[in-house]
Order: sequence, then C-alpha cells, then structure tokens
Amino acid sequence: MLSIEFILLPFIGCLLIVLINVYFGLHVIKREIIFIDIALASIAALGSAVGMILFESAHVEHTHGRHGFFPYIFSLCFISLASFSFTLLKHKKIPIPLEAIIGIAYAVATTLIVIILDKGAGGDVHVHDMLIGTILWISGHQLTRLAVVVIIVGVFHIIYRKKFLSLTESFHDHKNKINKHKLWDFLFYFSFGLVVVEAVNIAGILTVFAFLILPASLSVILTGNWLTKLIVGWVAGITASFAGLLFSLRLDVPSAPVIITLLGIILLLGYLLYKLSGYKKQAKEIYGS
Amino acid sequence: MSTLLFLTPPIIACIILAGMLSYFGNHILSRGIIFIDIAVAQIAALGTMIGILIGFAEDSVHAQIVSYIFTILVLGIFAMMRVRKQLLPQEAIIGIFYCIALGMALLLAEKIPGGSNYITKTITGNVLWVTWKSVLSCLLVFVPIFIINLLLEKTLRKITDGEIAGKSMGKTRFYDLIFYITFGIVIVKSVPVMGIFLVFMLLIGPASISRIFVQSWSARIIWSWIIGSIGSMAGIYISYSANISNGPAIVSLIGIATYIAAYAKLYVKRGDEKLITTN
Repeated sequence: MLSIEFILLPFIGCLLIVLINVYFGLHVIKREIIFIDIALASIAALGSAVGMILFESAHVEHTHGRHGFFPYIFSLCFISLASFSFTLLKHKKIPIPLEAIIGIAYAVATTLIVIILDKGAGGDVHVHDMLIGTILWISGHQLTRLAVVVIIVGVFHIIYRKKFLSLTESFHDHKNKINKHKLWDFLFYFSFGLVVVEAVNIAGILTVFAFLILPASLSVILTGNWLTKLIVGWVAGITASFAGLLFSLRLDVPSAPVIITLLGIILLLGYLLYKLSGYKKQAKEIYGS
Repeated sequence: MSTLLFLTPPIIACIILAGMLSYFGNHILSRGIIFIDIAVAQIAALGTMIGILIGFAEDSVHAQIVSYIFTILVLGIFAMMRVRKQLLPQEAIIGIFYCIALGMALLLAEKIPGGSNYITKTITGNVLWVTWKSVLSCLLVFVPIFIINLLLEKTLRKITDGEIAGKSMGKTRFYDLIFYITFGIVIVKSVPVMGIFLVFMLLIGPASISRIFVQSWSARIIWSWIIGSIGSMAGIYISYSANISNGPAIVSLIGIATYIAAYAKLYVKRGDEKLITTN
C-alpha cells in the first residue's frame, strides 16, 4: 500500500496533464501541427535562459533557474511572440504548411539555447532531464501551479469551446466563420503554451508530447465525435499513466519510457481493433449481400 | 590563405548537402511531413543502440549495418501505412514513431554504460571537422541516390502533389518506399557529420523560402540549393569571425531568414495589392 501513496502525487500530475493534453492533442492533430508542443517548450526554455542570463545570474542558486520570476516572465514573452508569429504566418499568401514555420522556430530556439549555454557543464544530464523529466519527484508546489494553470486554461476552453472548435475545423480552408479569428487563434496557441511550460517542467518534453499525441491518435482512429474522442483519449491516457507509474516503481525503471511504451501498446491494440472491424465490415458487405 | 584552405572541405560539404537536401526538402515540404528527418535520425540512433546491445562495438561496421537495416524497416512500415483515406495525418504517425523511438532509446540507455550519450550525441555536430575523406564518402553515397531519384522523378513528383494517391495504392507505396529509403540513407549518412538541427534546417529552411516566392518544381529546387549554399557559407563566416559554434550559426541564420521572407511576403506585397484593388 505504501507504493500507492508514493505515486499519488505523480499520478495526479499525470491526470491533469492527460485531461488537458488529450483535448489539445485532438486540436493539434486536426490542424496538423503535431510538433508545436516541442517547439513551444524549446521557445519557453530559450526565454527562461535569456531571462536567467539578463537578470538572475547573481542569485541563481536561490531561485533554481527556471522557477525564478524573470525567467518565467521571459518565457511567457517568448511564447506570446511565437504564438503571434504562428497566428500571422498561417495565411493563404504563405504557401508552406504552418508545421514548417513551427519546425524552423523549434530548430532556431534549440540551437540558440546551445549557443547561450555553451559554457555550461553537464549539458548531457540537463538534456536528459529536459526530455523525460522527473515526475516521480513532483513537489506539492509544482502540482499546485500545474493545477491552477490547467484549471484556468481548461475553464477558458470549456466556455469558448465552440469558437475553438470552429477555428480548428476551418483551419485548412481559410474560411473563418467567427469574428476576430486571429485573436482567438493567438489565444489558442498562448493558452497551450502556458500549459506546456508547466507540464514540461514536471514531466519533461517527451512525456508531455506522448500524452499529447498518442491518446488523441487512438481516439481519432476509433471514434467520431469530439466528446467520445475526448473520453477514449482520457481513458487510454489515465490507464497508461497509472499502470506505468506502478510498473516503474515496482520494477525500478524510469517512469517516462514505461508510460510511453504502454501508450504505444494501447495505440497499437486500438489500430488492430480498427483494422479488424474494417475487415469485418468488408466481409459483411461481400458475403452479406 | 591558410584559413581559406582550412575552410574548403566544410564549405564543399555544405554545398553538396544543401543540393541533396534541397531536392528532398521540397518533397518533404509539399508532403507536409516536416519532422521526418528528426524521427529518422532518432530511429537510426535507436538502431545503433540495438546493435551495441547485440554485442557489436560502437563504431563497427556491424553496428552501422544493424542501424541501417532497422531504419529501413521502420521507414518501410511507414510507407506501407499510407492508405487511401488518411485518418491520421502522416505527420502524426511520424510524431508517434519519434516518440516511441526516443522512449525506447531512453529505456535502452539504462542498459548500456554511458548510454545517454547516444541520445544527445546526434544533437550537435561540427561542420569544421569535416575532412576531404568524409566529403568523398558522402559523394559516393549521394550520387547513386541522386540518379535513382532522377529516374523516378516524374512519378514521385505526381505522388507528392497528390495526383496518383487515389488511383493505385500498390504503385504509390512502391515509389514511396524507394523515396523514403533513399531519404533515410541520406539522413543517416549526414546527421553524424553535420548534427541533426543543421540537417533539419537545410532541409526545411531553403525549401520554405523558395516555396514562398516561386512556383515551379525546378525553380524551387534550384533556388533552395542556392539559398542553402549561401546561408551555410555566410553562417560559417559569421561563426568564424564571431567565435560561436558554426552549426547553430547556420541554423539561426537560415531560420531567421525564413521568418523575414515570410513576413516580407505578407506585408511588402500587401501595398501592391492595395494599389491594385483601389485602382
């Protein structure tokens, strides 16, 4: 029973990330901007690195880098700049996919971090932590911050869900039905950026990316409307994170890869199920008539 | 003069690579599978780790062969997953592959001493260490790949433009398979030399800039090559004079140039259009 208590906080953390990320994942897959989460995470990291160098270099040891005030403000500024660019550059005059713009921002942000932190030692360890995070050691303070951001962004998206839905549905044909669609687009990216910053701080880039793409892909394969898609994604994500945390504790392996593997297995099973039902339908059509 | 001589192999390497990647980049951009090269590099790294786990030495030919076979296998699965009615966008499938490959690599890294090195190793490369020997070996690989792609060019172009996709899936998949395998070999060959982000940027950046301004395929490919070459040379020069790493310098330069080009297209032309509409 000890182990259940031990994984309670990490599990709540995973739960919050799954709840919001499956929702964003469905949007992101529909818009075909899959890697936006990794890009925003890198841009935020660049922002906090710049903030750290400009303002907090003297007392880094107190604030522990990215949790400081100025680094956070800077990462928010960088995210809003990026969101602004993504909003404007999705335009019918720009004939390249938005994913390319996002990818370029990602590459530039990451290499600029390398230039800025060039002199820092132990870069390998840092990169490793940035990728998979340390969700087993989540603190109450981190969890509270995550919960506050997830609730604010979640409520905002529930209230204006129709606007965001119609934005995403009409994303590829440039026929926006709602007023001020640029502003809403910006708010979509920015609110997603807020979630990504908190989630990546806790769970690492890779785990957050997995929670964004894998459960949502499963529900895109299996079901039709938005509500059932959300529920399928949530169930898959929550099951995988609970089982993954338990396994990783019992078998003493890092939690992130286990959770990702489980999500992958669930997705594969879902795909096989989809294929099977497809064959059944075909067989019915051939033999039934 | 001696500094110039010292810089010739890296510059030649960048020009060759910019040419090869400008061809693939335009296809990748039109297909909308932007992150495929990062995924391929990750899959190749995972392949190398599997080779090491089997018991081959890190730099041995065997480990490399395992890596190539593994990469080609995964790309084959990816090509086969192309279906008539695409439920999931292909970019999402790439995301899934990338995510699982990286997760597996992290899991395997626990079993290999110093394993996390293999994950971060691909992130940076150093163009300045390029020698004539590696330029030559790159050429030896690229020339046959270039010829194969030249022979299949018309059909591949149609597939990329989405003309054939609906008609015969078998044929599409076969051509796709060749396209992805040749692309995979180029990526696996060039990433250890140049670093993943430089390869990514040379693939996407110049192709994006030329797509913003020109329409036809050949113009796009030639302009991407020119932009990629000039960008790399300018980047190497800046990194040499400002004493920063060259890979990041080239990446930032081409990346920022792409943004400037996109904004220029949005706002500079707007004036003309207003003139036309008011007239």
